Amino acid sequence: MAANQAAYEFYRQSSIGQSLTDALDEMIEDGSIEPNVAIAMLKQFDNSMAEALRLQVRAKATIKGKLQIYRFCDDVWTFVIDQGANFKFENSELVKADEKVKLVACASRP
Amino acid sequence: MAEVAPTPVAAQTPGGTMQWTSGITPVLQNVVATVNLDVKLDLKTIALRARNAEYNPKRFAAVIMRIRDPKTTALIFSSGKMVITGAKSEDLSRLAARKYARIIQKLGFAAKFTDFKIQNIVGSCDVKFPIRLEGLAYSHGDFSSYEPELFPGLIYRMEKPKIVLLVFVSGKIVLTGAKLRTEIYEAFERIYPVLQSFRKVQ
Repeated sequence: MAANQAAYEFYRQSSIGQSLTDALDEMIEDGSIEPNVAIAMLKQFDNSMAEALRLQVRAKATIKGKLQIYRFCDDVWTFVIDQGANFKFENSELVKADEKVKLVACASRP
Repeated sequence: MAEVAPTPVAAQTPGGTMQWTSGITPVLQNVVATVNLDVKLDLKTIALRARNAEYNPKRFAAVIMRIRDPKTTALIFSSGKMVITGAKSEDLSRLAARKYARIIQKLGFAAKFTDFKIQNIVGSCDVKFPIRLEGLAYSHGDFSSYEPELFPGLIYRMEKPKIVLLVFVSGKIVLTGAKLRTEIYEAFERIYPVLQSFRKVQ
């Protein structure tokens, strides 16, 4: 992500993002940081996640299934895959989805 | 539009009655049609709300939308004009166009259905014998273009009906440029005796 462009915020919902948010909330409550500091840290987290995924992650996943819906708009792909999709990650077992799966994919840089 | 395929008897064609002798009927592979929905469209709204849509204005100024039945692709422009490709017949093309128009209507646009027109029909068939393309290119030089280093097929530009045929050594034939399916059938019946005379003896 370019410095002047806001990164996607959706990694805040990941476990690592949730943990960071919880920790920051606690720190705001006990008065050790100001809320605006927490916001700045979350913004930095968005940028760092995008940067780390772009530069450091080389692992690939293969997803096979029946595509029910797809969409491409504003540089975001959305896929809805029917129940029973197979997920294959590196160094792991095949995972079968027992519900339909929604995938959202964005460009790692604008 | 008549859906009946020609049988090896006399049939009506734009040029009058002609004899179908090959016993082979080209199969329609693609029909391209246009229609005017006669309303300005906001493509981003369509891309965000309709399913199976792609919109990347940096690369192409239309929404690309697909439906499964009839299996087709539509290009939807902000002017309200739409191109429908991939249908296997004229009727399926029109049905698909209506379905796309309905999708646009459901998104709140006052889409009409005007000026539906078949723009191109592509057919193909197999004469089931190999063909001497060099011989065909030589004796039909005015209509033929055969550059095996560029493309393995012979391009035959028939004048009446005005159809382009791709003829391959294998005996597989592609016919394109038709506005009416009868033009595909007629072009094939006209080329068939020519192909027979350039049958490759193995």
